[in-house]
Amino acid sequence: MNPEIILAVAFGGALITYLSGKISKRIRDVVAVAFSLSLVAIVAVFYNSESQNVFSPGFLDFPIVIRIDDLSWLFAVIISVIGSLSVIFSLNYIRNRGNTDFFYSMLLLVIASMTGIILSGDLLSFYLFWEIMSWSTFLLISYNRGPAIAAGIKYIVMSVSGSLAMLVGIISLYANYETLVINELAAFLGQASSGYIIFIMVLFFAGFGIKNAIWPLHVWLPPAHSEAPSPFSAVLSGVLIKMGTYGIFLLIFVIIQINIFFNLGKGLLSPRYVIAIIGAITIIIPTFIALVQDDAKRLLAWSTIAQAGYIVLGISYCTSESVAGGLFHFFNHALFKALLFMTVGAVEYRTGGVRDLNSLGGLIKKMPVTFLGALIGVCGLIGVPLTNGFVSKWLIYKTLIINDSPFLAFAALFGTWGTILYSYKLLHNIFLGQLPEQFRNIKKAPFSMQLPIVLLSIPVVLFGVLPGVPLKIINNIQSDLGLDALNISLWGVVSDTGTINLFNIIAAILLIFIIIWLLFKSSKRPANVDQYDNYAAGAAVPVNKYNYTVNFFDPVYSKIIRYLKDFADVFYLWLALCIERAGNGIRRIYSGDVGYYVIYIVLFMALLILIQINRALW
Amino acid sequence: MVALVFETFLVVLLACIIGLFFLGLARKITARIHWRYGPPVYQPVIDIIKLFNQTSMSHGVLFELGILISLAGSVVVLLFLPFARICPLSSSGGLLVVLYLMLISPLGLALSGGESANPNVSIGISRKFLLAFGYEVPLLLILLAVMTHYDTISLSEIANKQISSGWSLFQLPLILSGIAYILILPAVLGLRPFEMIQAPQEISSGPYAEYSGKFLAFAMIQHAFDLFIGISLFVNLFLGGAGNMGYFFIKMIIVLIIMIFVNAVFPRFRIEQAIRYLWTWPASLAFAGLIIVLVVN
Repeated sequence: MNPEIILAVAFGGALITYLSGKISKRIRDVVAVAFSLSLVAIVAVFYNSESQNVFSPGFLDFPIVIRIDDLSWLFAVIISVIGSLSVIFSLNYIRNRGNTDFFYSMLLLVIASMTGIILSGDLLSFYLFWEIMSWSTFLLISYNRGPAIAAGIKYIVMSVSGSLAMLVGIISLYANYETLVINELAAFLGQASSGYIIFIMVLFFAGFGIKNAIWPLHVWLPPAHSEAPSPFSAVLSGVLIKMGTYGIFLLIFVIIQINIFFNLGKGLLSPRYVIAIIGAITIIIPTFIALVQDDAKRLLAWSTIAQAGYIVLGISYCTSESVAGGLFHFFNHALFKALLFMTVGAVEYRTGGVRDLNSLGGLIKKMPVTFLGALIGVCGLIGVPLTNGFVSKWLIYKTLIINDSPFLAFAALFGTWGTILYSYKLLHNIFLGQLPEQFRNIKKAPFSMQLPIVLLSIPVVLFGVLPGVPLKIINNIQSDLGLDALNISLWGVVSDTGTINLFNIIAAILLIFIIIWLLFKSSKRPANVDQYDNYAAGAAVPVNKYNYTVNFFDPVYSKIIRYLKDFADVFYLWLALCIERAGNGIRRIYSGDVGYYVIYIVLFMALLILIQINRALW
Repeated sequence: MVALVFETFLVVLLACIIGLFFLGLARKITARIHWRYGPPVYQPVIDIIKLFNQTSMSHGVLFELGILISLAGSVVVLLFLPFARICPLSSSGGLLVVLYLMLISPLGLALSGGESANPNVSIGISRKFLLAFGYEVPLLLILLAVMTHYDTISLSEIANKQISSGWSLFQLPLILSGIAYILILPAVLGLRPFEMIQAPQEISSGPYAEYSGKFLAFAMIQHAFDLFIGISLFVNLFLGGAGNMGYFFIKMIIVLIIMIFVNAVFPRFRIEQAIRYLWTWPASLAFAGLIIVLVVN
């Protein structure tokens, strides 16, 4: 089969969904779900196949190359799975809003353009799909209007500057080598000078870094993630920013190639270390900022930036274990972060749009399935053993320690402890503590929301116990790219410098837990009590006031909050203000009064005559 | 396989007995420092038997499961820590796995406490996480120094190497790290001056405020295991582990007694004071230690 069929289904789905919306809402819902699910099925068929199709003459006389291999397959699976679950989640979430046809077709268009990016084998089609993705994302981020418009504009301004930098890189490559096909470019760049390679890297890195929200290019992400509709936030955080990761991966391992990248520069100044250090900074700073957020989605957004730091750190460190860890973490993060955004979205849907962490609480009794999803997602995010996040982080830490980069390892490990703090705050303030009276009669999330939450929870645990399944695919990718393959068993990773075996861990935990549980069950049954039957030093429990959520980590908040200004954001805002002022100044020249224009013309003529008299140029 | 299961049960049983003995000993020594007579050393055992027979109150499924998860998390860590030469799961991931498994126990306690819907509990948990956030900075730097120095992530290998080359605490590159570890050990063990997590006088025992009957018994057993784990990790990393159990026990009890002396005479830090302390002196010592290890390597 040809890989174009994937693109045809993806883009056709977006169009047909829009048209069917004109007939009936119900048909459109069915069509959208059917197309997104069939995309998953078609992508799955391409497992372990490699093919490439060249269309020539393609676009503007450039050949268009569409190809699929192990790397694109992994990304395509994640995109289509998260995309289709997000469509299912939207069914209830978006039902009573305006412009739903537009929402669905844009959502499918974003998914389609992302599949386009990972299937394109030349930089021109890559760039075209990249731009389609950027613009359709902008429209979806601004879907809610109000503050969402400002968030969307911030996103598109940064995104366009990034893709312009990328365009300069593409033009420069074409001017030098007269081809845009990635495999041919790779052969040419093998002989290029290291200065030119770094120049190309910086240009592309600007584009990919902005999409991947690497510090200090991250400022668009927190408002965009928090203002977008929740099902789209899941796509945004789960897969869309990972297009930046894919770009970086493509740049390092396919276009430039590992042996050249590895030997570029010296010591701490080599691109390998510089990118790794930026990744480490991207872990630390956003983790601290996430601690002080009060908006559930904004907290998750900052956490997304921090986790993207792990991926970049793993990929750029370039040992086979760290790259496997980085790719595996990309895979895991897509699963658990989409899951977390969906649980927060379900809470938002049921509580009438509340995502303020200070006014929720105690929802575990009302929305148990949603809570379970959030708990599993948070465990994956922290990397608690038996969830998938543990294995990927373990791989990254281990290789950093063994290869004598303890400070990078410290950043990664310390980021994890910060993650515990903010993710427990998320769980506690939404689901634990006292249930406020106004949420007494809340219903559990509807089926179309519970289904994606359950479906995403399963692989988080499953691949945490059986990491061999995804690591096998990642191993194939690595051997395609010239990295050493890891020695993988179904239950873990084997090596001389440190082995991990999850079978032992799960067997030990289960055995011990069962013994303790039997001990617990064999003794006297406890009496169940209400949340108001509680210790309050002898007084009655005050209704709606007996909760500790506001400023959950208070004593430290007040000490650290003044250091936590987002300096990158301040800088960009200042830059924007300067440009606005300069624009205002230039605007005054065009006053609209014809008299001024006559004077400009006369002055200009006088200047020309003056030059001619003195210098006699013409 | 049979040997493995036998070792597992042996380690857990010994740790339980030693941990409870430590709790009793701590109360006795503290009492003598205060010029009181104090309860008998086996008082914790009496307490646990009594608590199992009392009526208990539950706030929901997670309230019950959380404390069980917490206890299971503590017990699992034991299987990865060498106790003298016994270490049932030494080859399943090393010190990094230990670090991560040590998360399960506080997380379980936090989930269980969260569902009890009591602000005292929530405050206690928030302090517990903040304190951990505070001492993890020096602790991680120390552990990274040790792992870089011995060039391994396996805990039993680190312990074994010390048997031939002497205690890490007295090896030149690791001295500063060792001193930093001693400075943060009370925080790791949750003893005064870092006892703000429970602080009975202000937040009525913090995370344990809502536990009654058998829940309190489980919490107490878990506390005993935690005490054992904290001291055992230090002994394995810096005091050279030990070739036989008696020697290991003696090392542990000496560390414990010193910590109880500190606990008995110090007042309590506020949480922000604790973090300021942990992030200045111990953290800079540990940082310097890591740089020395890197330079020597």
